Amino acid sequence: MDDYALGVLTNIGLFSFVALSAYLLLLAGEMSFGQQAFFGIGAYSGGILTALYGWPLPFAAVAAMTLGALAQFLLGLPTLRLRGLYFAMATLAAAEMARIAFELIHFQREVDGELAGPDGTQGFRGIRWIFEQDIEPLGYLGIVCALLALVLVAFLLVERSRLGATLRGVGEDPELAAVLGIDVRRMKLGVAAAAGALAALGGVLFAHHNTYIEPRNFDIMLGVHALAYALIGGLGTAFGPLLGVLLDIGVLEGSRVFHGYRMIVFGGLVAVLLVFRPRGLLDEKAVQWLRRRLP
Amino acid sequence: MSLLEVRDVVTAYGKIEALKGVSLEVAQGSITCLLGPNGAGKTTLMMSIAGILKPRRGSILFNGADIAGGAPHAIVARGIALVPENRLVFPKMSVLENLQAGAYQRSDKKTVAEDVELMFGRFPRLKERAVQEAGTLSGGEQQMLAVARALMSRPQLLLMDEPSLGLAPLVVEEIFRIVSELNREGVSIFLVEQNAHMALKVAQHFYLMEQGRVSFSGTPGALAEDEVIRRAYLGSAKQ
Amino acid sequence: MLADLIQNTLDGLGIGAAYALLALGFTLIFGVLRRANLSYGPAIMIGCYCAAWTHLNFGAGLLLLALVAIAGAVLAGAYVERLCFAPHRGGSAIAAMVASFALWMQFEELATLVMPRHVYAFPALYEGGPLAFGPFTMRIEALVMLAAAATACAFLWWTLYRTRFGLAVRAVIEQPAAASLSGIDVPGVLVRVFALASALGGVAGFLVVASHEQITPMLGMWSTMKGLLAMMLGGLGSLPGAVLGGLALGLLEAHSQWFFGPQWRDFIAFALLFALLAARVPWMTTRSAS
Repeated sequence: MDDYALGVLTNIGLFSFVALSAYLLLLAGEMSFGQQAFFGIGAYSGGILTALYGWPLPFAAVAAMTLGALAQFLLGLPTLRLRGLYFAMATLAAAEMARIAFELIHFQREVDGELAGPDGTQGFRGIRWIFEQDIEPLGYLGIVCALLALVLVAFLLVERSRLGATLRGVGEDPELAAVLGIDVRRMKLGVAAAAGALAALGGVLFAHHNTYIEPRNFDIMLGVHALAYALIGGLGTAFGPLLGVLLDIGVLEGSRVFHGYRMIVFGGLVAVLLVFRPRGLLDEKAVQWLRRRLP
Repeated sequence: MSLLEVRDVVTAYGKIEALKGVSLEVAQGSITCLLGPNGAGKTTLMMSIAGILKPRRGSILFNGADIAGGAPHAIVARGIALVPENRLVFPKMSVLENLQAGAYQRSDKKTVAEDVELMFGRFPRLKERAVQEAGTLSGGEQQMLAVARALMSRPQLLLMDEPSLGLAPLVVEEIFRIVSELNREGVSIFLVEQNAHMALKVAQHFYLMEQGRVSFSGTPGALAEDEVIRRAYLGSAKQ
Repeated sequence: MLADLIQNTLDGLGIGAAYALLALGFTLIFGVLRRANLSYGPAIMIGCYCAAWTHLNFGAGLLLLALVAIAGAVLAGAYVERLCFAPHRGGSAIAAMVASFALWMQFEELATLVMPRHVYAFPALYEGGPLAFGPFTMRIEALVMLAAAATACAFLWWTLYRTRFGLAVRAVIEQPAAASLSGIDVPGVLVRVFALASALGGVAGFLVVASHEQITPMLGMWSTMKGLLAMMLGGLGSLPGAVLGGLALGLLEAHSQWFFGPQWRDFIAFALLFALLAARVPWMTTRSAS
């Protein structure tokens, strides 16, 4: 398999994390335009730890996830009390502040005789841990897939459990959930932390795959794309966001058929699809239909 | 001759059928009352007639024509006006503007202005508050306004969803006095009510709805004689 | 120092007027639909690109270009309304907003396909220099923008409070269910409000592009972000708020940029919005957003 194809597959895996992060919040009934910020926090923090302090990637990833979870939790404290569009705008504002913060941060150290670290709008070069460990593209794809598989297993376990049903209940009708004795705020804050960790994991893996990141990578386009992937793929199952990513990056990028007017085609298809399936391809009804037919 | 005939109407919210095949008639020139417990589907029926909800099955005949599934503004054009539950006045508009909104489909400014004067005559308190924002009116005044607004379209059939809800007894009496007056002037009225006592005094025909179906149809006398209904809706109190 | 403050205030009002126009369009659509149209800015961009294309191929005069920009924006807006908002009325708000995002992507790609260069020249709104009075200057373009915003406000006020259509729009904004019960054709009102909002956006976009004498595809994202920010700052759903929010944003940006530079300028604007939202300031959170 050539390097281009490997790159496409890896990107599908990487963006699945941020799509799943948006999906998780959607399940809890919150529309976030800001998951790109936590993707970025993961990327920058993970990159700093491996490139500037020589941390091994696994430890850096855990640290990045913790930071992402904490950041989204803190963001959630004042914002999760807001409804609908107000919450969305608050997440957007916070994410833009994060992006501008990335533009303003200059934090460089000398490593092996060279300056390394984030350099504002110039970006952050030299996140080379993968290459220093001689990990091949195929090997890295394997790592990304393994982690994604773990995340999916976790999702599937939760969705079949009472926690999953409670979460969906909170998303659909928070007032009813509260009346039934569920601590809605605690649930949403927990979901926020998990979403932040997920996005950050995607970010740290992204940074090491690309070896170079810049603030522009983490703008509102990424955030709205993540939301779109989750909604288009379907809100009935964690495979939905994956499907969304696969459709956009995989089919349209990989096939190179619609080069030049990929977004015109994709955008039109998405809008039409949503008319008939407002909760995506793999929505709750489709998932129930599939469950009845599969063993 | 039935002005309005509802035939086997089924209206659902997603998978839940709120109306499971409702059939009833409103005679021309009558006051017909629909009773029933909360959740029976009375408001759903009103909204289905008014076009806010689209029935899944069945037909709604008005002057012989099937209006089921029609757009709300088209149904107003045919001569039906709904005074909705919770009044739903336009809160930031003045009383006068609320009335003008009710006459939206009418193009002759002169007759609309005459009707506004008529409404002020019928509802003097509205005249006092003509330029006040409708949201600042009391519950009873808002109810009057909602009725007046509906009347501005000169409907043949007036639908009223729980007009006495949350109002003081004196106000309720006034509302029902107006209902009788309107009927004498030729407006047919179909109303949903919780307050069966007042309804008994004005309505000529009763329906009872329970769990999405009509379970009783008859005159006030028949209603009052039925033991089960009496206990449920009229209580055992001697008024 | 004081002179700088005054000068910045004048500059801020100029750009603030553009923001006010954008916010008015966003607010009109939000008011009747309770949803944000992420394609609002991109539709304006399409209109301005139509004007740029016309200028490129036919060298038309400013007035004609303005009309082309407005017509293009209205057509693009109608496409968005039909595909993204009409089908989801009463349904999923997220689906409508994601669909509008999908069309945003379409518009951006369409613009770059038809006109591939990143920047295109656009005829100047005004050829001369700025107006000088004392130590201060005010660009004529900014004055035109302010005049346009003022005219738009007057026009909107007259439409909403002195016409039958305006009564219907206010009814739909205040109480959509009762509006249809009063015999108002609500879907028809929505279509016309969309056209009005798109036209306002087209005016704003045209004036901005002509003031800068150039157009780039970033106009779409820029208009959306500024319009959303200004609308939220002024209090979601309030038309006077939209104007105040736009002017306030312009003033905030002008002063922030002077003291702290362009990056902090944007940061401060977002930080202010975030702070207002987090503090749940009443004027910001009174209107329900689905």
